[in-house]
Amino acid sequence: MEVSRRRRRKDDLPRAPTWWWWTLVILLVSMETRAVYALDMWWQLGVSGVERWKNHPTYVLGASQPVIGLCAQIKGLSARQLRLCTTYQDHMSSIGRGAKMGIGECQFQFRDRRWNCSTVQDSSVFGPLIQIASREAAFTHAISSAGVVHAVSRSCREGDLASCGCSRARRPKDLHRDWIWGGCGDNIEYGYRFAKAFVDARETERNHPRHSRELARMMMNLHNNEAGRKAVYNYAKVECKCHGVSGSCALKTCWQQLPTFREVGHRLRDRYDGATEIRFNRRGTKLVRKNKNFNKPSKEDLIYLDESPNYCVANPETGSLGTVGRVCDKQSQGMDGCSLMCCGRGYNTFKQKLTERCHCKFYWCCYVKCKTCERVVDVNTCK
Amino acid sequence: MAGVVLETLSNKKLLILSFSLAIILTVFFLIGGIVAPSPNSVMDTLTVKCYDKDNGWHLNNMKPFTPRGKDSCKYIDSFNDEEIELKKIDANEIVFSQLLPLPKEGIDLDMSRWFQNLIAVMDVNVEYDEDNPYPENNKPEMLIEAKLFYRDKEDDESDWKLLAESSEQRTLDCTIEPERRRKGNLYTCELISLFELGSVHYDYYLINIRLPIDPRNTMNRIGKLADMHVIAIFQNGGFTKVWFSMKTVLFPMVLVVLVWFWRRVQTQGRSTNLTERTIFALGIILSIMNCPIEWLTLAVNMPYMMLLNDIRDGAFYAMLLSFWIIFVGEHMMDQVDRNRLMAYWKHLTVVILGCLALFIFEMCERGRQLVNPFFSIWSSEIGGAAAFGFIITAGIAACIYFLFLCYLVFRVFRNISLKRTSLLHMSTLRRKYYSGLIFRFKFLMIVTLLCAALTVIFFIIGQLSEGQWKWGDIDVSLEYTSAFLTGVYGMWNVYVIAILCLYAPSHKKFTTETDDTDTNSREEEVQLTQLPSEASTLTSFITKQSAD
Repeated sequence: MEVSRRRRRKDDLPRAPTWWWWTLVILLVSMETRAVYALDMWWQLGVSGVERWKNHPTYVLGASQPVIGLCAQIKGLSARQLRLCTTYQDHMSSIGRGAKMGIGECQFQFRDRRWNCSTVQDSSVFGPLIQIASREAAFTHAISSAGVVHAVSRSCREGDLASCGCSRARRPKDLHRDWIWGGCGDNIEYGYRFAKAFVDARETERNHPRHSRELARMMMNLHNNEAGRKAVYNYAKVECKCHGVSGSCALKTCWQQLPTFREVGHRLRDRYDGATEIRFNRRGTKLVRKNKNFNKPSKEDLIYLDESPNYCVANPETGSLGTVGRVCDKQSQGMDGCSLMCCGRGYNTFKQKLTERCHCKFYWCCYVKCKTCERVVDVNTCK
Repeated sequence: MAGVVLETLSNKKLLILSFSLAIILTVFFLIGGIVAPSPNSVMDTLTVKCYDKDNGWHLNNMKPFTPRGKDSCKYIDSFNDEEIELKKIDANEIVFSQLLPLPKEGIDLDMSRWFQNLIAVMDVNVEYDEDNPYPENNKPEMLIEAKLFYRDKEDDESDWKLLAESSEQRTLDCTIEPERRRKGNLYTCELISLFELGSVHYDYYLINIRLPIDPRNTMNRIGKLADMHVIAIFQNGGFTKVWFSMKTVLFPMVLVVLVWFWRRVQTQGRSTNLTERTIFALGIILSIMNCPIEWLTLAVNMPYMMLLNDIRDGAFYAMLLSFWIIFVGEHMMDQVDRNRLMAYWKHLTVVILGCLALFIFEMCERGRQLVNPFFSIWSSEIGGAAAFGFIITAGIAACIYFLFLCYLVFRVFRNISLKRTSLLHMSTLRRKYYSGLIFRFKFLMIVTLLCAALTVIFFIIGQLSEGQWKWGDIDVSLEYTSAFLTGVYGMWNVYVIAILCLYAPSHKKFTTETDDTDTNSREEEVQLTQLPSEASTLTSFITKQSAD
């Protein structure tokens, strides 16, 4: 982690470092290139709370100099992402929101699995586990890039972003291209395009030799990012309204509706369960499925290179946190059942007093007046 | 005696005419499909949840809640924010706000008068939540307090003027499939109509909506609200331009043909007959529909334009339906001398009844909206029932009408086939002439059927293609809905022009004396001239036949 932070500093603040500092950095970087590269993620935006920067004075004024500084403060951006950040400063809070949604949804979908998408307090967000090109890494890439599509499209709808797409691209003829002629394009498409530009930027900004591990990982990430975006983009629902003469359906106007992020999460978890293991082809330029008996992965499927590590026991090398202390369900036969969750180690049972809100008076939103109730429950945790 | 142009026209000329009309029709279709953009655009906006801390809504001089810009409101990102618990924000302190249009491409867009009309609907996103469930057994009532403000570009950014305000009741209708009943999933809810504006005269529109709650009643008990979308639908400026140009071109064209037709009729030196008068009335009503008074909307605020257009369209279609009945009736070829409007009272009552029902419905909905744009006849139970009643009435009238029309057409064709047998007893030339007449009559009947069928087919294809609206359509260069609208509009114009041309009295005198000298034909000639009021020789011929 120390390494990564230093490297960021090198990128962003080129303030006359002394020669030994350089040597140290280069030495460390060359030792752990892969780790550094994979660990430093833009997902950081979802944790560090960029939303709060929305009302940052420098941001509001829009002065160019302080804003570059603002982008530089964000950890986890690659060089090209940094450039995008300075051009589209107002998009950064959406990206932060998207990343946050992605992390939240990941934790929701995996709340009762051995790997529960837990985050760690550093710029890699998910810890060193992400170095391993496993299904889990595939899922995190997909869900966070889906989050960006979702959040950017949403911000477009709110009128938060000034540069969302319009009709210019839709009518390529020389005839009246202004929006008065044909209205504006769809916001989901804009979200998709922006997410593609931003999320894929860090993968495509360097070249890797054939057969190299980096190339394989790059292609895997690109594929999974796309799968995540597609999980939002391809499943937009169409809604229509009739408004012809006397409200008849002679005139009907339709528009796209974003799927809820919960649906996206469910869809991607299904893709995770059916993810395809892949390897290089003979020429080392393309990824092909390892087992020919399985179906060829489509653009919407997730792919991975390596088997998942053992999530049962904590292992600082892989980053696995283990399932010791995790709450499990005594009755369940599924992944959240004590037998599977605890990997056969058994479980401890103890009584816990829960303080809950109860007898609430709910309205369609907001603050509710409740009473507090206490309840004693049996809690099982893995040994 | 003189017949109509259709009868004296040579087959070659008829072919040329129908061919050129077909080309004009194709041009109209292509104008819509290639030049015009789709007729409507959508702005799917997500409202910003403003926090009305000082209960400003109830103040008389309420400051509008703006979602962005210089003095934007304090807002909440989501209802799951911790901020709500911390500040104890109440549902009554939330104002949903959105400013139309949304900024795009880095430009601050503004609405254009070319948009003509603006329809806004609400899409309420209700989340599934066991603790705070949506009442699935009874459709919950919503009380919507809404305000609509406007501002022009040159006005100060905070100088919002009130356009309309209202407190409306709507019913929310949501469903969820059993397998999706999990926290975080959304219900599928019916859209709720918000407002309709008959003119887009100003540059910016600001919508403020509040959903008040009162512990004493059951209003707005709708479960857990996640978001509220306001979807604004407006006519595309490009489509308006194409539409206006079409009307501007068609108006003088039809007018010229109409004047020519009436002068033809006047120079005949006899009293006009019913078919001629009906055709003339059809032409006049078409001209009224074509009259491009919409150009005025670019300068003057005319919110009643939408209503006026609906009435003009309705009048034209009512006239067209009446015309068909009268036209078919006048060619019945039986002994009965109709030629009076009274003879068709049964059929015309059905048309008038149907149109009247739609007119009253239209006046209740759009007419009321001139006063209160938030009004919707469907929102109240009685209003909805009444509206439904009007539509049912119109539907029944339409069914009876079509039964009438089909019956009349059936009788005409039966008469024609009966009379055809007597054709054999006539001289070759006469037989040729009269079979030609029947052929041309049938030809026009078929054209009418073709027009009606094309309208229905286009309409159905339009419905299907709209339903399958999906990604990838962006590259499609043909705008189907626009093509449908311009095509059908052009088609009925061409149809009326063709009728005006073909059913105008002919100058040519058809004389058969030259080589036909037998007494039978002479007798026929005498019979034919005895009926001066008849429009066509065809009818006179048939009358004579039956008299025999």
